[in-house]
Amino acid sequence: MPDTAAPPSPAHPAFTFVKSAGGIEEYRLERNGLAVLLLPESAAPVVAFQVTYRVGSRNEGAGLTGATHLLEHLMFKGTERFNKRLGTSVFNVLQAVGAQVNATTYYDRTNYFALLPSEHLGLAVEVEADRMRGALVSDEDLASERTVVLNELDRGENEPLRRLVHAVYATAYFAHPYGHPVIGWRSDVETVTAGGLRHFYDTYYWPKNATLSVAGHFDRADALALIDEHFGGIAAGPEGDAAAEPLVAPETVTREPEQSGERRVVVRQAGQLGTVLLAYKAPPGLDADADALDVLATLLGHGKSSRLYRRLTDRGLATGASAFFPRLRDPGLFMAYATLAPDADADEVERELRATLRAVAEEGVGEGELARARRQVVAEEAFGRDGPYAVVAQLNESIAVGDWTLYPDYRARIEAVTAADVQAAARRVFDDDRLTVGHYVPVLPDDPTAAGSLPTDAPEGDA
Amino acid sequence: MNPVLPPATAPLDAARLPLADRVSDVTAGPARLLLCPAPVRDVVSFRGSLWAGVDLSGDDDVALALAVDLLDKGTRHRDRFEVAEALEGRGAQLHFYADNLRLGFAGRALTEDLPDVLALLAEQLREPALDADEFEKERRQAVASVRRAKDSTAGRATGALTRRLYAPAHPNYVPEPDAELERLAALTVERVRAFHAAHVAPTRLTIAFAGDLDGARVTAAVEANLGDWAPHDRAARFDTTATPTAPGRTDVEIADRLNLDVRMGHPVALRRDSPDFVAAHAGLFALGGNFSSRLMQTVRDEQGLTYGIGSALHNVSVEHDGHALVYASLSQDRLEEGLAATRAVIERFVQVGVNEEELERVRTTLAGTHAVALATTSGLAARLLVNAERGFDIGYLDHYPEMVRALTVDEVNRAVRTHLRPDELHVAVAGTLPAAPSGGA
Repeated sequence: MPDTAAPPSPAHPAFTFVKSAGGIEEYRLERNGLAVLLLPESAAPVVAFQVTYRVGSRNEGAGLTGATHLLEHLMFKGTERFNKRLGTSVFNVLQAVGAQVNATTYYDRTNYFALLPSEHLGLAVEVEADRMRGALVSDEDLASERTVVLNELDRGENEPLRRLVHAVYATAYFAHPYGHPVIGWRSDVETVTAGGLRHFYDTYYWPKNATLSVAGHFDRADALALIDEHFGGIAAGPEGDAAAEPLVAPETVTREPEQSGERRVVVRQAGQLGTVLLAYKAPPGLDADADALDVLATLLGHGKSSRLYRRLTDRGLATGASAFFPRLRDPGLFMAYATLAPDADADEVERELRATLRAVAEEGVGEGELARARRQVVAEEAFGRDGPYAVVAQLNESIAVGDWTLYPDYRARIEAVTAADVQAAARRVFDDDRLTVGHYVPVLPDDPTAAGSLPTDAPEGDA
Repeated sequence: MNPVLPPATAPLDAARLPLADRVSDVTAGPARLLLCPAPVRDVVSFRGSLWAGVDLSGDDDVALALAVDLLDKGTRHRDRFEVAEALEGRGAQLHFYADNLRLGFAGRALTEDLPDVLALLAEQLREPALDADEFEKERRQAVASVRRAKDSTAGRATGALTRRLYAPAHPNYVPEPDAELERLAALTVERVRAFHAAHVAPTRLTIAFAGDLDGARVTAAVEANLGDWAPHDRAARFDTTATPTAPGRTDVEIADRLNLDVRMGHPVALRRDSPDFVAAHAGLFALGGNFSSRLMQTVRDEQGLTYGIGSALHNVSVEHDGHALVYASLSQDRLEEGLAATRAVIERFVQVGVNEEELERVRTTLAGTHAVALATTSGLAARLLVNAERGFDIGYLDHYPEMVRALTVDEVNRAVRTHLRPDELHVAVAGTLPAAPSGGA
């Protein structure tokens, strides 16, 4: 819920105060609509600065899967101003002042962040403003970075659980871009051109599609002045620039047709112990049921008093079992999984997983476990304030879902979740017609059929 | 306004004081407590350890690991679920770990819950149930975990390198997975109970707390729960120096793993308190500490051969030596090319050394990283504890940035030439190896 207190002043004449919640203030840079979130804290003399672009693998079409992530890599290759040839690459200049610097890409967003001594905030602002429109995205840089990303892809493919999650998403989504991995399909990573990436960049990397977050020890007026100085001269968006004309409207994303029957997928890979994963179609992250689903995931799968731990891990059927609900902008998945104990039967584990979930839908939850789950979520939120990086990282996900106030209001929302809410959400989500079941079946390394035996139903087998 | 948020106008003074002035170093029963107030609301992080007095020539490390796994599986007063509910009902976290020589624990709680969590911590450490059925379950979990680790290219390469450099009684030695499975099979609950009785005691027990805390209240809670706990006087037995084989390469074949993990290294005659440790650390950082380092700039950024590559001094402590480590991930089709490129960067680095501009970046980065690590309560607690385990005074954490800033090019290059010797590097590679090696490593 928004704070009722008046905005702190003086702020800065170039900005309009929009609202505040949980001590976080939102401003808009009037000249181009850039959104700015400020959380001044009196902690250690460090500050976190972040740019969140509301573009992710959700915005990628065929042939461009992985473009958001590959572009994120190329954003470190330089601009006319900050580049390796001048000895001023982004990493060089920011790490030289002691900054921790990186970027991540996910379904709905891409974020660039630096955690650095407070006196160097201006440098981080300057670097991000410069590369918002000045990235070179050259053919030469793409050539060397493409193989870096292919190695990153190989690293991911080494992990059976990651292959399983990719296979389950690809099976659950026929049409919506959530169906392809954030890192992209291998052949797209191998073939995308610098021109394709530049078009992607020119479509999405603009102030109107970005939110800045600043948290930690800084002066509010100084920070706004720095942001105005460096971002103020950038146009709001690509309007009128024919070269940046998107192939489809940037806000248009294919709608996933209703799932009307259970789907199953098997991933086989050399290894020791299997995994079973259940994924139910679930509502968007801002849906009224989403808070109850967060509590439900905690109650099912977090900690040694949780239902899945008791029913699977403690009984020796699994070495680990958990549930999670990534809150996404479009309808997502509610997942529960178990990693199999030696000699455990995958079908039995699947039956137990399904029975554990069904019991919540049919019988509801107890007040004791509900209170524990709520308390865990609330404590997470309190610890989420531990250090400025933790704050901007959480804000980043709320921005991606579509409303940054999800983060500051989270505690109150979770405390309002009732046992009836949890049961009702479980009833709506745990519908077998909207379920995708994935099994990772390990092939023992000494099995002569292991080599080249990946079945065709594994959507990304590349052996 | 959210109640957990500190007001934006709160004084900064507390967070800016030197740690030596900010941290209370007090005794509570058998424990040394380091109490560090930090400007957050309502939360406290803590981290502690005790000296287990292990004999690494036997099976003490396996017994310690299983004892640690059993600490949260029930006490004489509460079953495993009551223990979990006591923590989770408060939103608190507490976990135990073993690092071969010590038993450690780390946790966090809302300030108001800290006394209850400390009471539970004491109960778990002092009076675990060590129940026979729970032991069997934990052993099965440990077996599963070793079997799963067989599939990890990073873990297998790391283990293979340590077996080239160390004997089994060295704390840095990682056994072969099959040997570990045999050791687990031979372990009994009686052995774990005997180990707990003899080794889990408040010898050199140190606990660091950071956050929104009342020092007197924390001290009283520790006194009340641990005050009458008696230490042991067992000496630990382990190798303090490496015993490497002749330099060479170990390949570990793992099917279906097209990314290969590479570990290169050789022992270093260094301890954490050696006069040239910080210079050697800075040198290895210049070689492979971050994106600006030689290895990342050359093998990743220019040549595109790897997603991740780096170097560091690995597991050098005040109690034993460690090794210079270079690590990389390489796709199967670029393996030999990547190995050769990595070697070339290392050789050139040792020949030419760092220059002033490069060292200046490293100085600033190491000082900045240190400051950032102290910006969270969990980071503060972790740094305070490890600093105390090393026997350093709290002021070391305040002076560390000055030590780094005072490093000269000559000092760093001398340390690099002394402690990094390309001809002596061992190599371990794990993953699906190319069918026919295209060149020597």
